[in-house]
Amino acid sequence: MRRYDLIVIGMGLAGLTAARTAVEMGAKILIVGRGMGSLTLFGNTIDLLGEITPGTDMEAGVMSWTATHPDHPYARTGWAGIAEALVAFREFFPPPYTFAPVGGGNSLVPTGAGTVRPTYLLPVTMTAGVGISSEDTLIVSFRGFKDFQGDTVSLHLRCRGVNLSLPRYGLEGVTALAFARLMDEEPFRESLGEAIRRQLAGERRIGLPAVLGLRNPAGVMATLEAVTGAKVFEIPMLPPSIPGARIFRRLREELIAKGATFLMGNPVIGATLKNGRCEGITVQNPPLKTVYSADCYVLATGRFLGGGLWADMERVSEPLFHIPVSQPATRGEWFRERFFQPEAHPIHRAGIVTDAALRPVDEGGKVVLENLWAAGSILAHHQAIEEKSREGIDIATGFLAAKRALAP
Amino acid sequence: MTTQNDTRTPPRTFPDVCVRCATCMAACPVSRVTPHFPGPKQAGPGAQRFRSAAESSVDDWIELCTSCRLCDTVCPAGVPISELNLMAKAKYLDERGITFRDWLLVRGDLFGEMAARFSSYVNPLMKNPTVRWLLDKLLQIDRRRDLPCYEYPTFRQWFGARPAADNGNPKIAYFYGCFTNTNETDVGKAAVALLEAHGFSVDVPPQRCCGIPRLGVGDLRGAKEMGGRNLASLLPTVREGTDIVFSSTSCGLMLRHEYGPLLNLPGAEELARHLFDICEYLLHLREEGKTDVTFRPNPMKAAYFASCHLKSLNIGLPALELLRLVPGLDVRLVEAECCGLGGLYGFKKEKFAIAEEIGKDLAEAVARMAPEIVLSDCEGCRMQIRQLTKRTVLHPIQLLRDALL
Repeated sequence: MRRYDLIVIGMGLAGLTAARTAVEMGAKILIVGRGMGSLTLFGNTIDLLGEITPGTDMEAGVMSWTATHPDHPYARTGWAGIAEALVAFREFFPPPYTFAPVGGGNSLVPTGAGTVRPTYLLPVTMTAGVGISSEDTLIVSFRGFKDFQGDTVSLHLRCRGVNLSLPRYGLEGVTALAFARLMDEEPFRESLGEAIRRQLAGERRIGLPAVLGLRNPAGVMATLEAVTGAKVFEIPMLPPSIPGARIFRRLREELIAKGATFLMGNPVIGATLKNGRCEGITVQNPPLKTVYSADCYVLATGRFLGGGLWADMERVSEPLFHIPVSQPATRGEWFRERFFQPEAHPIHRAGIVTDAALRPVDEGGKVVLENLWAAGSILAHHQAIEEKSREGIDIATGFLAAKRALAP
Repeated sequence: MTTQNDTRTPPRTFPDVCVRCATCMAACPVSRVTPHFPGPKQAGPGAQRFRSAAESSVDDWIELCTSCRLCDTVCPAGVPISELNLMAKAKYLDERGITFRDWLLVRGDLFGEMAARFSSYVNPLMKNPTVRWLLDKLLQIDRRRDLPCYEYPTFRQWFGARPAADNGNPKIAYFYGCFTNTNETDVGKAAVALLEAHGFSVDVPPQRCCGIPRLGVGDLRGAKEMGGRNLASLLPTVREGTDIVFSSTSCGLMLRHEYGPLLNLPGAEELARHLFDICEYLLHLREEGKTDVTFRPNPMKAAYFASCHLKSLNIGLPALELLRLVPGLDVRLVEAECCGLGGLYGFKKEKFAIAEEIGKDLAEAVARMAPEIVLSDCEGCRMQIRQLTKRTVLHPIQLLRDALL
């Protein structure tokens, strides 16, 4: 049986961040995910805390937030922890494809629903989308590309929109991945840029669906900008998220290059616990069950969609280690009266409560398993969707969990 | 104490497990290059909701799935997408009847031995433009596809002619697979040399084609038959306490994970527990401190490509880890998904262009790395990379064998 320093369970941004942090520290690690994780579902931009007014200082904003939300994951990491983790993330994406805030803090980016939403770090391919106006922006969509409805986007953003045909595809339906792949080809994007240029009527910015290539998105943007003479930006849209896939691929490449064992596609079906410690986890690839062991474990399995939390008719549980889940006292309190309300439904705050080092604790505050840390959206007392804090929580807690787990 | 994951696993054919998250659409190599295949989400669970055993198939694009299984590896909901596709493909082909070409191609194991015997005549014929034109027109085997050469003697004949090495070393059995036997015998020789260098006495039990080509054309009955025969000849080996290693990740995936869960063959799980990828096995030995084999320096730039079926085996990248033990070898993973060959898929005239287009991304990734050599555990990937890059392409164990002291 093989022995690792650290096993990370979960392949979303939190798990991948924990794994990367650990290999940077020289640890021998294994990362296991039942699937590809959530980066192709979200992962377009790096949200930190959408509540903070755009243009205001993030540090002050997060500090005052944690003062009134003492149970929030950010209260565990502190601003220093967030800042350190974000620096590590940003350094991982050197020029030309970088992540950075526009202005000092949050900024508003257009979305595939035609809304604008606050976010913190933007890939360089999205920055020109901040602060668009009706007169200066053209929204371009494509016939046969169903994931991006340009009419809706341009209508709601009050910009002019055009719907173009793709040079090489008919109406049969091109997928986001196929589109992004075509964009990686220089001649294709040049001819596409030329087709867009002919549609310009004085606009100085061009909004496109977020498919500007997988391999060299900054290069794709540069070509389009050179051909059109306008600023080009990507608009996040329906899954699969191509910007998320870029983050996933980059992290996977790095982990494998640094010697991590990367297991994707099978669930962890059980854990062996002894004397208050986890001794091993069992991965099932039918008909085989394989046990992997490590000195410590990071649980980053997400919430209900990722399988990190499990709900039956009455209770929410953590299905793998059976560690306590903070949740509303009764089923009747799971949801608010109306589905669409500004406040999150209480069930969305359910999750794992931890100590300051991110080790899961029980109702009495006692550490449940000595060598288990938790990271990402499985943590309790956040409302990642409403707060717009998903990636920030993933990165900050994934980073901290690995640091604490491997601390001497 | 052992905790069991409470997350229930619904029946494997139940399409509603799919939440339409589209993660598989970020992985499918076929829908990445052609709009004619709607992708795993729609072809698998999406269309499954409309399929009925009583009605005839209407989804003719189902044939375009290469069975690479990448969709299965990325699905966060555990939907057996490729299996849904496979079942639909089997039904579709059952209704239409198998073509002579497919009937012939999946029997490569039968004519392979014969072709190897007469390889000095067969190989030039396979390169003859008139023959290729005829194969293209009559059998729809694309004439642009390089056909693999046959080698004589076969691996099995070579092995049988060696003096029996009864040196009291622990025994290990080797499943070589058809392609090693008749087309790439050096892979088999490398496996034997490497295993012997690690202190084993190698045995090659009787074996047939694993059956994965038959699965690829939807012939479940044929695949089951091959599986039954292999189990009958391999189970006695594992029952006497001998582990079996394979060097082809596709044969290995078939033997280890399809005989049981998909084909319900008795004894499949017992075989699976004693069956290992050769690099996985050697790496285990090393981690358990049971070997002190070291390699001599080989300062060279190598590109390693992980096959789709290796990803489905889900054992990490043991070959890459072993290659890193060769001093001076600068080996890096090729950042590309799927070579596109899809086994017999890429030989078929109507699918050649798709296979080539998928492979283009891999070929470009290799060109950017500019390696002196390309390595892959899968014979299909090796064939495709050879054709697309014109570079030397080997199985990792061939390079490891050459680096033995």
